[in-house]
Amino acid sequence: MQLLNTLLIGITAGSIYALMAIAFVLVWRSTRVVNFAQAGMALLSTYFGYEAVSRLGSFWVALPVAMIGGALFAALVELVLMRLLVKHASSGPIAGVAPIIATLGLLGVIRSVISMIWGGQDLRIVPPISNNGFTINGSTLVFSPLKLLILVVVVVLLILLTTLFQKTNLGLALRASAHAPEIARLSGVRVDAVRTLGWALAGAAGAVAGLFQTVNGNGNFSPDSIEFLLLLVSGFIAAVIGGLDSLLGAVLGGLFLGIAISFVLMYVSSGLFFIAPFVILLLVLFIRPQGIIGVKAGRRA
Amino acid sequence: MKAMNRRKLITASAVLAVVGLAATALPAQAAEVGVTSTQIKLGMTLPMTGTASLGYNKIPGAAKAYFDYLNANGGINGRKITLVVKDDRYVPTEAVAKTNELILKDKVMALMAPLGTANVKAVATSVNPARRGVPVLFINTGFSGFADVKKYPTTYTVLPSYIMEAKIMGEYIKENFAGKKIGLLYQDDDFGVDALEGFKTAGVNFAVKVPYASGSQNAAAAAGWITKFKAAEADVVILFGVSSATSAMLGVAAQLKYAPQWMLGSVGGDATTIKLTGVPAGVLYNAIGFSPVPATTDMKDEYVKFFSDIYAKAVPGSAFDLNVLLGMNTAFMTAQAIKAAGQNPTRKSLMAAIDSKGATFASSALVPVGYSKTSHVGLTGYWVGKYAPTGDLAPIGGTYVTYTTDSGSGPVVKSTYKRPAMPAKGLPN
Amino acid sequence: MHKSKKESTHIPLFILGGVVLYFLSGFVDELRVYQGASIAVYVIAISSIILLTGYSGQVSLGHGALLAVGAYAAAVLRVEFNVPIILCFVAAVLAAAVGGSLLGAAAARLSGPYLAGTTLALAIGLPSLANQFSILGGEQGLAFDVGFPPLALGEEFTQYKWFFWIAALAALISMWSVRNILNSAYGRSWRAGRGNEVAAQLAGINTARSKVLAFTVSAGIAGLAGALLAMTIGTVSPSAFPLTLSFSLLTGAVLAGITTLGGVIIGAVVLVAIPEIADVVAHRLGSSESVTTNLPGLIVSGLLILTVLFVPNGPVEQHRARKAKHEAAHAGSKKNDKH
Repeated sequence: MQLLNTLLIGITAGSIYALMAIAFVLVWRSTRVVNFAQAGMALLSTYFGYEAVSRLGSFWVALPVAMIGGALFAALVELVLMRLLVKHASSGPIAGVAPIIATLGLLGVIRSVISMIWGGQDLRIVPPISNNGFTINGSTLVFSPLKLLILVVVVVLLILLTTLFQKTNLGLALRASAHAPEIARLSGVRVDAVRTLGWALAGAAGAVAGLFQTVNGNGNFSPDSIEFLLLLVSGFIAAVIGGLDSLLGAVLGGLFLGIAISFVLMYVSSGLFFIAPFVILLLVLFIRPQGIIGVKAGRRA
Repeated sequence: MKAMNRRKLITASAVLAVVGLAATALPAQAAEVGVTSTQIKLGMTLPMTGTASLGYNKIPGAAKAYFDYLNANGGINGRKITLVVKDDRYVPTEAVAKTNELILKDKVMALMAPLGTANVKAVATSVNPARRGVPVLFINTGFSGFADVKKYPTTYTVLPSYIMEAKIMGEYIKENFAGKKIGLLYQDDDFGVDALEGFKTAGVNFAVKVPYASGSQNAAAAAGWITKFKAAEADVVILFGVSSATSAMLGVAAQLKYAPQWMLGSVGGDATTIKLTGVPAGVLYNAIGFSPVPATTDMKDEYVKFFSDIYAKAVPGSAFDLNVLLGMNTAFMTAQAIKAAGQNPTRKSLMAAIDSKGATFASSALVPVGYSKTSHVGLTGYWVGKYAPTGDLAPIGGTYVTYTTDSGSGPVVKSTYKRPAMPAKGLPN
Repeated sequence: MHKSKKESTHIPLFILGGVVLYFLSGFVDELRVYQGASIAVYVIAISSIILLTGYSGQVSLGHGALLAVGAYAAAVLRVEFNVPIILCFVAAVLAAAVGGSLLGAAAARLSGPYLAGTTLALAIGLPSLANQFSILGGEQGLAFDVGFPPLALGEEFTQYKWFFWIAALAALISMWSVRNILNSAYGRSWRAGRGNEVAAQLAGINTARSKVLAFTVSAGIAGLAGALLAMTIGTVSPSAFPLTLSFSLLTGAVLAGITTLGGVIIGAVVLVAIPEIADVVAHRLGSSESVTTNLPGLIVSGLLILTVLFVPNGPVEQHRARKAKHEAAHAGSKKNDKH
C-alpha cells in the first residue's frame, strides 16, 4: 500500500513538474534561451486565473483566461526584453550569461510587482473537482479525480504540442528558427514572429502548471509560496534530466524526478526534501550528460 | 616626480592614521536610548511574509491595538509607547539585519517578542543585545535554552518551553492513551529537538517520527507524511510544527480520509489560522490541544472579552485568535514592566523591575510566571482542551484543568493556581 | 617593464586604501561600520563570481552553496575544536576550494543551461544538508564567534568595528590576490577558453583542467567570503544561504561589470545600499506596507535587467572602452598630423 501511494504521489508531483518542463523546453527549442522567469510567469498567470475565478465564478473559464494571459505576457516579454537583449548583449563574454541574468532579474521584478499589486497574503483558488482520494477496498489512495485530471492534461498537451512541432509547417518553422535562423529567414520564415509564438506557447503551458500546482495543494498561494519555488527548480531540473531538446523528454524527466523524489522522501528521510533533486540531477547527468532523450551533439553549445 | 607624489601620499596617510587613532580613543556619549519625555520606543522582528508567517503576522496589529488603547488612557507615566516592527521572513540572517536597524538606527529602548528559535539565537550571537544591555522581552519562542540566564542575561521568556509542553503531552498520553501507538510530526531543528527531549523525559516511545525540513511544509509533502503514519498504524498523531505544517497535514488528511486521534502542539494549534487555509472544522473536531491562555472563544473570561473588544475596534473584520491574544497579553505585560521601572525608566531599571516584580504582573494566562532575580522563565504550563465541532479549542468538560512543570526532570503536576482579577480597565496599576 | 609597473603601483594603493578605511571607521556610526563589513564581504564574494563567470565563462547560480561550505568549515572548527580564528578562515578557503574542485570536475562536462541548472539545484540542496548531520547544527545553526576585539585597541572599540577591520583586511588581501591571478598565465588561459574553446585547445591549453582550476580558485575565495559572512551574522545556518543570496551575488557581479575587477566595490555598495535607499524612497512617497517591503527587491531586479541590457560589461568596462575609442581616434588624428 505504501509502495503504491509513494508511486502515486510521485506521479502527481511529476506531472506538474512535466508541465513546467514543457514550458522550459518550448522556450529553449524556439529561442535557445533558458527562461528562469518561467515560474514567475506561471505565478502571474495564476493570479490572472484567480481574478477570473473571483469575477466569473468558474475554474473552467479561469483556466483558458490564465492561459491566454500567460501567453500574452510571455509574448510581450519576448518582444521587449529578449529582442533588446539580442541587440545589445549578443557579443563578448556576457553573451552566454546575459539571458540567464536578464530572466533572473525578470523573475524578481514579477514577484515584487505581484506582491505590490495583490499583497503578500495568501489567496485561495478552490479546486474544480474533488481532491479526495479514491477509496478502494476500504483504504484510500493518494490519488483523486483532480490528480487524474492533471495527468490527463499533461498527456494531452504533450500529444498536441508534439504534433504541432513534428507534423505542421508552423512546427517546422519553430524548429528551423531555433537551429538555423538565417536559413529560415532566407526560406521566407518570419523568424521573429515564430520565436514570439514559441514563448507564447510556453507561457500558456506555464499557466496550466501554476494553476494546477495551486489547486493540487490546499488551493492557497502567495508571491512567496514554496510551490512556485518548487516549480522553478524542479521544473527546470526535470527539463534538464529529459534533455532540453525534447518535449517527450520533458514529460519523462518530470515523471522520473517526481517519482524518484517521492521514493527518497518516503524510504530514506523526509528531511531530504531540498537535497534530493540535486542528487538526482547529478546522478542523471553523470550517467547520461545529454539527458534521457538528449542528442549528444548539441550539448556543448 | 612619481616618487615624490608617492611619498606625499604616504605622509598624508600617516597623518590621517594618527588623527584616526585619536578620534577612536574619544569616549562615547552615555544616554538612555529609546526614552524621551513623551515616548518610549520598542522594537519587534517576526515573519510578516513568507511560508512561516501564517497567523503570526497578526501579532503586530494586536500588540499595537493594546498600546493604542494604553496611550489613549495616558500611556505610562505620561509617555506613549511606540512599536517599530520589521519583517524578517523567519530567516535568521534577516533577523540579525533588522535587529541591527532597530537598535542602531531606530534606537529602540528594548526588543519585544522577537519570533523564532533560530532567529533569536542568531541575534543573540551577532547583535549581542546582552553585551549592549538591550532587554529582550517576552520572546516568542519556547526553546528551553533561552532560559539560561548566564548565556542570555537580558532575555526573558514568556511562552512555556517546548520541553514543558512535550512533558505535559506525555503525561496526558500516559493517563489516556497507554499502550497505543504514537506518531510525531516535528520540525527538523532546535524547535523539534527540544520537543524530542521533553518526550524522552516523559518516557514516550514513538512508533513513528516524521521530521520535516523547515520551509518544505506543503500539501504534497503532507501526503508523504500521512502515508508514513498510516504504514506505522499510529493511533495518536502529535503535530509539533508551525501553523503551515499543521494546516497542510490536516487539509490533506481530510482528502485522504485519514483520521487518527490528533494532538496539536500550541505553536501550530491555532484553530482560526488552520481553518483559514481551507481545513474543514470537522477535521479538528475532537483533536486535543494545549494553551496557556484562556480559549479565544471564551467570552466569559474577562481578559478575553476585554482584549477582543479592543481588537475588534482597532482591526475590524479580523478574527480574534490565539496569536492576537498572546500578542496583546505580551504587550500588556510589557506595559506593566515599563510602569514598574519607575518615573524615569532605563534599560537596567526595566529588567530589574521584571526580576523583582515580574511574578506579580497581571496576565491572562491560567498558569503562573516564574520571574525572579535568578530566573527569566515565563509561563510554566498549559491546560488541555479538545476542539469543538466549530473547530475551536475549548477546555475538556468546560473547566480549565492546568498542568505545570519545568524544563528539567521535575514532575508534571496539576496546578492549583488561581488567576487574580484583571486590573481596572486593563491598565497597569 | 609594463607588467612590473602595473603590479608595483598597486601595493601602495592597497595600503592607502587600508589606511583610509581605518580612518573612516573611527568617525562613522556603528550601523555604517556594520554595513561596511557587509560591503567588504560582498566585494570578496563578487570577485569570485567575476573570476568564474566573467573570466572563465562558467555560469554558477549556486555560489551561495560554496560560501556555505566555507562558513560551515570555519564554524565547525571553532565550535568543536576551538581553533584560532585565522586558521578557521584558512580552513574555510581550503574546504570551499576542495568543494569547488569537485563541482568543477562535474561541471567540466556541462555547459550553459546544464551547468546553470546543476548549480541552481546545489544552491538549494547543499545548505539543507546541515540538517542531516548534527555536528553541523541543523536549522538553528552553529555559532561563529570571532571573539571580542583585543583589549589593546581600547575599551570603546566595538564588536562591529572589529568585524569591519577583519573583513576589510581580508578584502584587501583577496582583491590583491585575485588581481594578480587574473593577470597571470592562468587568467589568460581562462579568457582564452572562454572566448573560443577549440582555438584555446589548439593553442595548447588544457581547457578542462583550466576550467576546474577556475572553479577551485573561485570557490576558495567564495569560502573566505562565507566565513566572513558567518562572522558578521554570528551564526551559520541553512537559511543564511538562500537562493536569493546566489542571485544577489550574480547581480552584484553584473552591476560591477562581470569581466572587470575594478567595479567590484560599486557592485557591493549597490547591493548594501539598495535596501536603505528603497526604504527612504518608499517612506518619502508615503506608500503602503506592500510597496515598502517589495521596493528593494524590485529595484535590485530592475537594475539587473537594465544593466544587462544597456551596460552589459559593467560601468568600468564601458568607461574604459569609451576612453580607448577616444584615444584611438585622437592617436589617429595625431598620426595624420605627423605627415
